[in-house]
Amino acid sequence: MIYIIFLIFIGGAVTTYLVGKISSILRDIVFLSTIIVPAVLFFTEINIGQIVNISVAGLQLQWGITYFGYIFALIVTGLGVMAAIYAIPAMKGKKNLNFFYSNFIITIMAMMGILFSRDLISFFIFWEIMTWSSYLMVVYQGNDVQKIGIKYFVFSAVGAYAMLMAIVITYSLTGSMMIDSLVAAFPGFDFTLQLLIPILFLIGFGVKSAMMPLHVWAPGAYSHAPMAYTSVFSGALSKMGIYGMIIVMVSLVAYIPEGHWFREIIAWLGGITAIGGTLWAVMQDDAKKMLAYSSVAQLGYIIVGIGIGTELAMLASLFMAVMHGLFKGTLFMVVGAVEKQTGTTNFTEVTGLIRKMPWTFLAALMSIIALAGIPPLGGFVGKWMLYESLISSNHYMLVIAVFFSSTAAFLYCYKFLFGFFLGQEEKEWEHVKEAPAMMVIPMIIMAIGTFVLGTFPGLILNPIDAGMQELGFVATQGKYWEMSMLFNEWGNVILLQPILYGIMAVFVFFFVFLTIKGFKKTRYVTTKDISSSGEIPLEHENLTYSQNFFQPFYRAVEPVMKRQIDKYYDEFGRGMEAFFDFVRRIYTGNGQTYALYVVIFMVLLLIFKDFIFGL
Amino acid sequence: MEFTLYTLLGMIVTIVLAFVVGMTYMGLSRKIIARIQNRKGPPVYQNFIDVAKLYSKTTSINHGFMQHVGPAFLMVASIMALMIVPVLNGEQWFGNLNFSGDLIFLLYIMVFGPLGMALGAGQTGNSNSAIGVTRGLSQMVGFEIPWVMALVALMIQFNTTSIVDLLNIQAESGTWLMFSSPFAFIAAVLAMLGMFRYSPFDIVGAPTELASGPVSENGGKYLFTMMSSSSIFAFVKLVLYVDIFMGGASNLVMLLVKTFAIYLIPMLYGAVSPRYRTEQAIRYFWGWPAFFGLLAIIYAVVF
Repeated sequence: MIYIIFLIFIGGAVTTYLVGKISSILRDIVFLSTIIVPAVLFFTEINIGQIVNISVAGLQLQWGITYFGYIFALIVTGLGVMAAIYAIPAMKGKKNLNFFYSNFIITIMAMMGILFSRDLISFFIFWEIMTWSSYLMVVYQGNDVQKIGIKYFVFSAVGAYAMLMAIVITYSLTGSMMIDSLVAAFPGFDFTLQLLIPILFLIGFGVKSAMMPLHVWAPGAYSHAPMAYTSVFSGALSKMGIYGMIIVMVSLVAYIPEGHWFREIIAWLGGITAIGGTLWAVMQDDAKKMLAYSSVAQLGYIIVGIGIGTELAMLASLFMAVMHGLFKGTLFMVVGAVEKQTGTTNFTEVTGLIRKMPWTFLAALMSIIALAGIPPLGGFVGKWMLYESLISSNHYMLVIAVFFSSTAAFLYCYKFLFGFFLGQEEKEWEHVKEAPAMMVIPMIIMAIGTFVLGTFPGLILNPIDAGMQELGFVATQGKYWEMSMLFNEWGNVILLQPILYGIMAVFVFFFVFLTIKGFKKTRYVTTKDISSSGEIPLEHENLTYSQNFFQPFYRAVEPVMKRQIDKYYDEFGRGMEAFFDFVRRIYTGNGQTYALYVVIFMVLLLIFKDFIFGL
Repeated sequence: MEFTLYTLLGMIVTIVLAFVVGMTYMGLSRKIIARIQNRKGPPVYQNFIDVAKLYSKTTSINHGFMQHVGPAFLMVASIMALMIVPVLNGEQWFGNLNFSGDLIFLLYIMVFGPLGMALGAGQTGNSNSAIGVTRGLSQMVGFEIPWVMALVALMIQFNTTSIVDLLNIQAESGTWLMFSSPFAFIAAVLAMLGMFRYSPFDIVGAPTELASGPVSENGGKYLFTMMSSSSIFAFVKLVLYVDIFMGGASNLVMLLVKTFAIYLIPMLYGAVSPRYRTEQAIRYFWGWPAFFGLLAIIYAVVF
């Protein structure tokens, strides 16, 4: 059955491309079924723990899904199906669609492949397929290919080489490519290798999950890919880095004797990522860039949890990984919808869409509340568990850092909603209509998902718990969570159901009160009909407030913002260029010079011959 | 069934109490500030008159759905926070939902209202409202830091995140937390200055520059709901401080005395201060208040 899933993916990718040359409707159908059918097969036919062995060219490959991989497979298939449905109307009218669709399928296949791989060879191959297909998507629209695409590719390549090195070292030591045998043999390695292998792996995974200082590719790449793809890119693809990271941190790093400081460093990198990502997100005027930085920040929280590595922290991380897939996927879809309907994603250009795109606004509102971590939506559960785990595992400064980042996130949350949907309604955008139903429905479904998980987190904590037990954690149900309850180490409890009902009751009561009281007398007036400081604004006066939106905040945090890792990479790049330039000068193209080099080399060889050959 | 009925009745009584006390305190503060500035000032019950007037007025306009539900969001935050915070020690009438949430939940539910309100203000299209909101959110990032530091210090000192547990600890040891963890108290009180938005931190409303900021464009039923909500919210914050740092209160009289004592701090500080610029306000909270928060954490770790 595992083969069939991959055969469908590959066949679907090829068929989509070929059929697209004949008929576009047929192509859409093939594309959708290629995404949906394997997803259905995966949930109905695949048994967890089922393993197939393949032998290719003398190499043993092993595929099978684990309880732990299952959690991420939920994100990939779920988000993949939603984004695929969304993609069809969203991409309508773009060029090279056959290529886009088949590439989309290949990305989903590569991610599933990573989750299925039980050996490092197929893991690496699928990892590279994923990198390639996402790179092609980043350059798909053809803007700034040089700058953005190359940056993404260079960082991915560095990560891949690091990973490849780790794999080769593993093979030379154990003679096996299985992940399980690496885990089993790891305690026997000497200390340098015990440190080196995890670091190399973490570089590879850190690039994909945009951990600082390896994050610089993310804002550009996320914002340049088509939005239908970016929701998968940020929601699911970046989680592959988290998936790998968890395996490394839990299975390998736990054996390092001084593993403690190693974990601290990872956790603090996550914390810095969260703060930096948030501050930069606040400063962005482009919605795509803002969400990209926000993704970086959110992945920072997840990395913090993995770095801490206690049971509650791991629960928090995995839960946040699922939640982030849901709400960030939705938000990128919202941006895509706005872009499709208005042609721009800049907050300083678009305003006042709430009455034109109410459903999109609703989806955005719910996802933003989830992102901000406000109860009763799902983001709160993850945040709460993360704080509790940080406090009870004595990471006091880290909890302040995470809290700062999460409070500052309210700023960009508001900016997102205000920038697009609220504020003055301008003539320029009067013609805008709600996005097509096929785009709105996936967004709404996912927004409802965040709502359900906020009150019944047990639905998703259940598979997470199974996955964690497989990684060697004890069962946490009843200790840290029930279907709709949360506990911390000290026995404090959050009862989510009474909270939800309380919120609903109060909200409905006042909503009804506000609506009924003087219902007939209240009429709607436009945004020009306001008491702007006692003066009536004229029709042509521009009252839109979107430039320098958080200027006072920016002034307060300016000293921090001046430091930027990009600059150092650029410096490094320039230094390398100068070095290569120097190297180039050695090759003068003059035969005489080359002869001189040979003579100099011989002389040096004669002088140092004792030293070199030890004679 | 009887239990549910009692709980519901208790909730309603709590809400009414919070509303009345909050309104009275606001009236008192207007009077006191007026006397400090050598004015006669409005009567103490002026706020009740205002609210009654707003309720009886017809609201003839609204600016769309988000502005319409904004005040309801605000109410949700105020009332849910009130349900979580224990009003009196061990009193069954005010049991409410005290055991359903803890301090971290409280921190987050308290943000729910301002965000909803901010969205409502955004839809009116008044640029002063939006400016006020950006200022308010920025200021919140400022004062939340020392406030959270103080709370984290308490959490690690007493190994609990529950307000009820903190109350019990104070009852058992016989001392108030403001004496047993003084730095946390100082940091929390300084953060409170920002939370209550009296001068010098009244940058959100800023009557002279922003024409009352986010609440402008709201009148009648909307302003009525907002005013009621803010009086309940003020009460919640005061009771929270009393619960955490002053051992709670065993009867209503003690509650009023203690809450009013706390209330005097931001009010009197505000009565003699001019207004900060936004970035000054943020930096203020990241200066001495954050330093005391840090001290509190060190104190909690060492002792």
